Amino acid sequence: MEEFSIKTKQNDDISILELEGYLDAHTSVELEKCFEKIISEKKFKIIVNFEKLSYISSAGLGVFMAFIESARNNAGDIKLCAMSDKIYNIFDMLGFPILFEIYKEEKTAIEKFS
Amino acid sequence: MFKSSTKNLSLLRNFIEEKAEAFGFDESSINQIILSVDEACTNIIKHAHKYNEKENIEVDIDSNKNQFIIKLSYKGQAFDPNNISSPDMKEYFNKFKVGGLGVPIMKKFMNKIEFSHLNPDMNSLTLIKNL
Repeated sequence: MEEFSIKTKQNDDISILELEGYLDAHTSVELEKCFEKIISEKKFKIIVNFEKLSYISSAGLGVFMAFIESARNNAGDIKLCAMSDKIYNIFDMLGFPILFEIYKEEKTAIEKFS
Repeated sequence: MFKSSTKNLSLLRNFIEEKAEAFGFDESSINQIILSVDEACTNIIKHAHKYNEKENIEVDIDSNKNQFIIKLSYKGQAFDPNNISSPDMKEYFNKFKVGGLGVPIMKKFMNKIEFSHLNPDMNSLTLIKNL
């Protein structure tokens, strides 16, 4: 089975999730739990780093949609960064850049929170 | 034949990748086919089989000249993606909707989608991509 993992790190009040591997209807449950935990800890400034993510299906996209409103309603946001062209094309094709801020570098995403 | 479980999506993707590559598609088209089949099977697992892992999805690959044809046969509730209109994405984002993007992805990436309800308890969903 193809693997999926999430590394979380904290940069002041910003939670950064580094995704690795394959994000589909099976593995998206893990990402959903991770978001639930972060939001329950009242951490609403979230950055998702896609650098090591090889694959995403709509089940993965659904996780970001499920938590963006909660983050924004609490003076936070979910900002996305470091996507490969392959991953970005999926987000772009469906119009996700209308709702989500997507940056090339994690550093820029962090700066946008300050 | 695959057991109807999201655990098997990775196996399914590997199978489709191998066949699409052998047919001669470039990397971008292969990725589009893999994602479309993943979305189709996820919908079957979720909606037709309600995550019942005892159900199966039969995957047959066929070709006709320049057409790469993936036929998914499964029991359960009939669902024709052609009857689903794609969401208005502006409204989708305004209302923070979740789900319902599998069909738009399939329609965008495949050249043709055919659905048939073969007998009272057997459905066939065919995804076609031109080389």
